[in-house]
Amino acid sequence: MIEVEEHTLGNGLRLVMAPDLTTPVTSVNLWYGVGSRNEAPGRTGFAHLFEHMMFQGSAHVPRNGHFQLIEEVGGSANATTWFDRTNYFETVPSHHLDLALWLESDRMGWMLPAMNGEKLENQRQVVMNERKERYDNQPYGDWDERIQALLFPETHPYHHSVIGTLEDIAAATLDDVRDFFSTYYLPNNAVLSICGDFDPDRARDRVEHYFGAIQPGPDPPPIPGIDQIPFSTGATLREDVPGAVPLPRVYAAARVPPFTTDLFYPGDVVAHCLGTGRTSRLYDRLVRRRLAKSASCHLLPLTSGASLFMVIATGFPDTDVNDLETAVTQELDNAVTLTEEAVERAVTGAETRMLRALQQVATRADLLSMYATHFGDAARLNDDLGRLRQVTLDEVRSWSRNHLNPGNRALVRYIPERSS
Amino acid sequence: MTDRGKPPPPGPIRPYEFPPVADERLGNGMRVRVVQKQPLGLVTAMVVLRAGETAAPAGREGLAVLAGDALEGGTTRLSSVELACRLEDIGASFGAATGWDSTTVAVSCLADNLVDALPLLAEMVRSPAFDQAEFDRYKAQRLATAAHRRMDPASLAADCHARSIYGDGDTYARPLGGTEASLGALEADHARQYAAARYGPARAAVVVVGDVESEEVRQLADREFGDWGEQSANPPEAVVAGREPGRSIHVVHRPGSVQSEIRVGHVGVSRFIEDYLPLTVVNLVLGGSFSSRLNLNLREHHGFTYGVRSTFAARRNRGPFVVSTAVENSVTAAAVREIFREVEALSESGPTADEVQTATSYLAGVFPLRMESTGQVASRIAGLIVFGLPVDYYRDYRDRIREVTREQAMAAARRHIRPRELCTVVVGDADAVAPGLEDLKIGPVTIHDLQD
Repeated sequence: MIEVEEHTLGNGLRLVMAPDLTTPVTSVNLWYGVGSRNEAPGRTGFAHLFEHMMFQGSAHVPRNGHFQLIEEVGGSANATTWFDRTNYFETVPSHHLDLALWLESDRMGWMLPAMNGEKLENQRQVVMNERKERYDNQPYGDWDERIQALLFPETHPYHHSVIGTLEDIAAATLDDVRDFFSTYYLPNNAVLSICGDFDPDRARDRVEHYFGAIQPGPDPPPIPGIDQIPFSTGATLREDVPGAVPLPRVYAAARVPPFTTDLFYPGDVVAHCLGTGRTSRLYDRLVRRRLAKSASCHLLPLTSGASLFMVIATGFPDTDVNDLETAVTQELDNAVTLTEEAVERAVTGAETRMLRALQQVATRADLLSMYATHFGDAARLNDDLGRLRQVTLDEVRSWSRNHLNPGNRALVRYIPERSS
Repeated sequence: MTDRGKPPPPGPIRPYEFPPVADERLGNGMRVRVVQKQPLGLVTAMVVLRAGETAAPAGREGLAVLAGDALEGGTTRLSSVELACRLEDIGASFGAATGWDSTTVAVSCLADNLVDALPLLAEMVRSPAFDQAEFDRYKAQRLATAAHRRMDPASLAADCHARSIYGDGDTYARPLGGTEASLGALEADHARQYAAARYGPARAAVVVVGDVESEEVRQLADREFGDWGEQSANPPEAVVAGREPGRSIHVVHRPGSVQSEIRVGHVGVSRFIEDYLPLTVVNLVLGGSFSSRLNLNLREHHGFTYGVRSTFAARRNRGPFVVSTAVENSVTAAAVREIFREVEALSESGPTADEVQTATSYLAGVFPLRMESTGQVASRIAGLIVFGLPVDYYRDYRDRIREVTREQAMAAARRHIRPRELCTVVVGDADAVAPGLEDLKIGPVTIHDLQD
């Protein structure tokens, strides 16, 4: 049970605090309610490129000063961009909490004066290299792009990948940076979580001191496109990718109820039953029987209309991709036969794993920001394990029947090209 | 109004002490180390065996790794499925990991369940079945991993670099997990022989970190491991002869590559060198952090790459020193040139006083950040056992880091970085990148086919 205190500043910034004096370490975590879903046509990848620009200095912080100042005091810092949000975080020795707050407030309030074309050009190159390293020069690297394009219609904000296309990254301008900042990087579109070793009264005062003067703005515009879509693709959609991959691999995805609905929880239990641990269905029936080298299952906590449920299975060099596909789809079809025993074991394992993750203040802060952003209630983190416990076998089976059938499926198959 | 002009000063520093480590020995010589760490009621129990891939006999490369994998494949009493059910019924996660110098087998669960989990952990280590069918399954997985490494540019670069800096007979010349040829010849019997010779209580330890009482853990450990009688022989040390030093560039031709994977380095140091901490500081300045010289140059100044790092691998014998990055074809030669420039400058002049100050402050400060979970602490304690470091090594670790001087760092840089011996491997499109690399006049450029 994590004790959580929540406040909202006059400018709309939501503050979440969870003190824990075990180790003299404090984590500061900011979620901005903007991600790849908010990108305009022709600007895919921009939310992520913008995240890079946030490390290029602000009015009172020199270029690269953010990392330098944090590393000098023995802290760590980073940021990530995802579908629905962008997060920024620092974990520091606790007596340097003010430094982290000062740095985050400076770029929330005073980023634009430090921007220029040269910095944008530099980070454009860095991000294009990131895309090439992680997507284009990497076996299977572009799988998420393919799955998203297949599973979500062109009008849906999840149709395109977070990294974006090289063309769109290259097209970004300094005006885009300014507009994006003014539209989304607002105190009223952000959650600030502080976890670890600190005094909450003092921290609240310091947050008010550093962030209080930042002006709020209008609510961000609606997400482009149409996010409400049926949890069904209508058929099994497929794409085969022949190429320079060493092993056949199948990505099988389904469009399912989002994180913000009660129907997410049976899905989470199903994902654990299928893919987590050595007793899971996929391990037991695919890996143990040597139909696959490895297999896993994931349900992403996405919120915009629908979420993404996915199985990833990798074969052996001599595995026929059709056999691999059959093995995977059979387990999706057979999820309706999951047992009470499997559900019990999956929930027990999920509880212990969640506690393990919460040992790290950075993870705790990030999860609190997530619940505050998506539910307006950070303390919901405490209830969520209970929600998994309450899921019944009937719910698990009917969720599987409704969402994991062949009428709601996208398959991307990577097929090794045999050199003759 | 707020004075935003400069960073706020720190508050009063809060004390941090690495938790005390209870250290005992069972009658058979096995160590029991316990660290109490209360919050959240978790525990990690880890058996540390001085049985790494270094101890795999010639011709059976990959055996230690594969034997480690196969520990999950059941015991003489429990099948693989039964073992998994018993552990996962109590919410435990478990697994084995094998490196050059050790095999560790760990279980993490609620501390209340340790009494059920530890006997299963002991059983995995003491009575592995190495059932042939299960063994073959793990073998097929490792073979597929080896096949994957041949087509993954980053793995390919790492493997090729190791082959290029180490001599043919050197232990570290080969990939940790073995090759397709060596793995193909392995049988369950080999794993049985390996475990019989290498798994034993001498030089081994059970490390328990979490919400536990050390006396209770000692008794539990004594019950599960105290009668483990087999004594393992002293493990062999890795062979490192190295190659004829001299600069050379090897391009592994991967037609159509949109990037080059670059590795630059030479045979490095063993974990036992006396100036390990000064060298850690040197590496942090070179390429061990975001604000390192290499990253600020290649990423933030030139925009050549998403990231670049340098490492001195900590092993019982001399592991590799490697700078690694991935860059676009058109800037491959320029990136190699900048890497050489930075490595040469650092080895010649050492880090500045400011850099040493920043690096020591970083290493001292970040230490508690990496000790939050039971698993992190257990891994650190396991490392002490593998390298024979004192049990109280971490008690004053932060003080010792802060005491590193510029002179010590400079001496370590001069001693352990040898610019004249830097070997470069580039995995990329040779047609696009080899001419530029030739023009650098660093050393002879050899082009290799992907299949070599």
